[in-house]
Amino acid sequence: MGERADVWQGTLALMVLKTLQALGPLHGYGIARRIEQTSGDLLAVNYGTLYPALLKLEQEGYIASEWGTSDNNRKAKYYKLTRAGRKQLDKEAREWEQTTEILARFLAPGKESA
Amino acid sequence: MRLVRSWVLRLGELFRKERREKDLAAEIESHLQMHIEDNLRMGMSPEIARREALTKLGGIEQTKENYRDRRGLPLLETILQDVRSACRMLGKSPGFTAAAVLTLALGIGANTAIFSVVNGVMLKPLPYRQPERLMSLFLHGRGTDRGVMGVADFMALDERQGAFEHVAAISPSTIGFTLTGLGSPQMIPGTSVTSDFFSVLGVQPVLGRAFLPAEGQIGGNLSVLVSHHFWEQFLRADPAAVGSSIKLDGKSYAVIGVLPWDFHFGPHNELWPILQLQPAKQRPPYWLLTVGRLKPGISETQAAADASLIAKQVHEQFPLSDDSSTMVVPLKDLLVGDTSEALLILLVAVGFVLLIAVVNVANLHLSRSGSRIREFAIRSALGAGRGRLICQLLTESVVLAVLGGLFGLALAYGGVRTILALSPDVLPRMEEITVDGRVLSFTAMIAIVTGIVFGLVPALRCAGLPPGRSLKEGSRTATSGRSAGRLHGALVVAEFSLALVVLTGAGLLIRTLSHLQSVNPGFNSSHMVTALLTLPRERYANAPQVTSIYQQLLERVKISPGVEAASITMSLPPNLLELTNPFHPEGKPDTPGQPAPAIGEIPVGTEYFATLGIPLFRGRLFSDQDRSPATHVLVINENMARRYFPDQDPLGTRVQTGEYNPKGDWYTIVGVVGNVKYQGLGEKDQPTMYVPYFDSGWCPWFVREMYVVVRSASAPEKVVSVLQSAALSLDNQLAIAHVRTMDQLLYESVAGSRFRAVLFGVFAALALVLAMIGIYGVMAYSVSQRTHEIGIRIALGAHRTNILQTILREGASLALLGVAIGFVVALALSRTLAGLLFGVQATDRMTFAEVAALLLCVALAACYLPARRATRVDPMVALRYE
Repeated sequence: MGERADVWQGTLALMVLKTLQALGPLHGYGIARRIEQTSGDLLAVNYGTLYPALLKLEQEGYIASEWGTSDNNRKAKYYKLTRAGRKQLDKEAREWEQTTEILARFLAPGKESA
Repeated sequence: MRLVRSWVLRLGELFRKERREKDLAAEIESHLQMHIEDNLRMGMSPEIARREALTKLGGIEQTKENYRDRRGLPLLETILQDVRSACRMLGKSPGFTAAAVLTLALGIGANTAIFSVVNGVMLKPLPYRQPERLMSLFLHGRGTDRGVMGVADFMALDERQGAFEHVAAISPSTIGFTLTGLGSPQMIPGTSVTSDFFSVLGVQPVLGRAFLPAEGQIGGNLSVLVSHHFWEQFLRADPAAVGSSIKLDGKSYAVIGVLPWDFHFGPHNELWPILQLQPAKQRPPYWLLTVGRLKPGISETQAAADASLIAKQVHEQFPLSDDSSTMVVPLKDLLVGDTSEALLILLVAVGFVLLIAVVNVANLHLSRSGSRIREFAIRSALGAGRGRLICQLLTESVVLAVLGGLFGLALAYGGVRTILALSPDVLPRMEEITVDGRVLSFTAMIAIVTGIVFGLVPALRCAGLPPGRSLKEGSRTATSGRSAGRLHGALVVAEFSLALVVLTGAGLLIRTLSHLQSVNPGFNSSHMVTALLTLPRERYANAPQVTSIYQQLLERVKISPGVEAASITMSLPPNLLELTNPFHPEGKPDTPGQPAPAIGEIPVGTEYFATLGIPLFRGRLFSDQDRSPATHVLVINENMARRYFPDQDPLGTRVQTGEYNPKGDWYTIVGVVGNVKYQGLGEKDQPTMYVPYFDSGWCPWFVREMYVVVRSASAPEKVVSVLQSAALSLDNQLAIAHVRTMDQLLYESVAGSRFRAVLFGVFAALALVLAMIGIYGVMAYSVSQRTHEIGIRIALGAHRTNILQTILREGASLALLGVAIGFVVALALSRTLAGLLFGVQATDRMTFAEVAALLLCVALAACYLPARRATRVDPMVALRYE
């Protein structure tokens, strides 16, 4: 349980940052919806877990928040990427690509050297 | 970096919880509303739309709770919450809180005070540059263990040694210098040192400069460095005073510098004149204390080997002298001396007192937690974890201990002052005894450890009980706490055994002091004033000058009203023996390889014996007829007569003192007098020789610093002013110093023993009171818990005296067991005291028996009140109470 949550927290942060980069300032609900849509049915996690992750990113200074008004004229808290967040996103994305590339090489069938 | 930032932010969250809570609620609410709106748009019914949004979110409270964990610092918040609740609990029972805090404050305060002393004397590095490289050097030979050096030794060392950056010699004169020309003549404490002394210590003057090498040579300018205090007092703190000159012992010294205000080396030195050494023609006398600063990377052993080689060369140069090696001792060890042992023993004793205090508070805590068992049982039944409960109880005890520590610190501040006032000249490095950072952390540490220790026992007990059982037990007070009772008992036993150990130590030391004070010093000390008179060498160069001033002075003093007798002496009882000399009886050549015995030899005035009331046993005393230069006479004491002339009449025997010289002068023994203590009241009687001060072998060289002794019916202050005016009327540059009554000298001579006895006594009193409170508390609690049982017994016809006996017996058996255990511990530990005792064995039966009896009496007295209360139990009330 703990381990899966860690993985989720790690990747979740990256997804949040990427979402904010792609869509600009967005509220928590919007971010959750977007992540769910992008991942299809593969990720079915409670939206609630998003909020501690947002708080952590904010405490680390990667995102900033302020209250604003939504399209439907509803008050909502908007998160946006900071400069440090942009850098962090680049870095994490690169690392992630590297990891997946390495894993892909391992898992690709029939490529083991004879 | 990011991590730090987020921790700081999280810490900050502790202080603005309310606003952030509202913020969070609003955010979650807006999230839900948006989700519900979306769902409605997708055609769900309002009810389902809401439920779906909630499910997707994963619960409002859970989300909030996770969020909170991330937001602040949950652990810290819990602790703060515990502290707050602990303070509330303690505030609710002010009696318990006050008792516990006071007990802990006494224990912690006493420990902090003693630790401050230990820290200042033993732990702090010496206040000089790189103090670990500062060493002192001694000759180590057949006759001496730690012998000071002669001029030849020091000069050879200074020239040839390679292990030290600098070496310096100190003339260990304790007396000081007569300052003239600045007000009336005064004796100022000071020590002469060779030119490298301040380079060795690494101390720079704040004004002016240190000595130049040329000033250390014979014929160099006489110069002096002065203390900051001297500069303020005598030189008006005038910077221009550097470069002026002052008169010391009649000689003019240039003031070349002022030392930092916090500089000190040895007790109360104000003047540091240059010591110029004349190259030696022979190796003795040995009188120089030598210090040196090791070169980096050189070990003590290397330095000792190097210096020993030089000592060997000096021995070859003076083959008659002792063949000794050189010993290197860290300067700190030299300055601290043998105080460490006594201090460590005190620290252990005071540690025991703290343990008793801790046990006491644990007992109080336990009684209280006994009545709180229900509270904890209920909380535990409601789901509070065991760890959580222990944590809370521990927090309570640590809060108590920290409060105790704070009050203890205040006590320690006062305690350190009292100790310093109590012990002038008992402790070395007194200037460095303060409550500093190290002491504060020591206090903090013992407070917290104390809190955890005395909190853990009740905490484990409370939290360890299965809730069902405690709930049941709580309803039947009559049977409650069987195990609690045993625990209480064990704690009381521990307390009494600790108290016995401290009390025996105190008993032994107090007995030592009273034995010392009842030692017969060998003379009559009442109505006796002593003072030191120093004659400057320049104006008192020959024997007639010296004898005439003493004679005139004594005549003037003797005719003053009230004065019964007056005389002079080089050494004062009970512990100021200035000089020992080897002695050689005629016709008994020294055994080769065995040095002649060194015996205290004291030049005195003719009426010395009459003035002090020392009895004459045989022969005669000195008289003015002995002034004729051809005769050399000695008076010896009874101990010397018995030890060295066991089967012969010492009267008429001729002896030589000092270095044996067949062609030298022989001294005839003319009288035998009573024994007098000159080496401390605790020393056995020692052989002593007296010689007339005007003897041509002594006068004028050795008798320019003499104590005047006056027996007078008038008040001591009057005698002092008589002395002072008599001295000034004869020579307006004479100063008298070191004025004491003989009773004061006797009192001061046992200052070390008194210091230890008083401190130990205070600790023992503390231990006794704490143990008494402890057993009282436990018995009172036990009686109050057993009201029901006692009521039944009385109802069934038990006699009230039976009840009284039962309770007293219970208390007494706890105390007795404690005393028995303490007995064994005390027997094992008291041996460490052996070195500090006088006139009493470390295993003194009387002391042990008295202490045990005292403790038992105290225990019975403490149990009597609760026992009486038990007999007054009204059976009807006790039974109805249920």
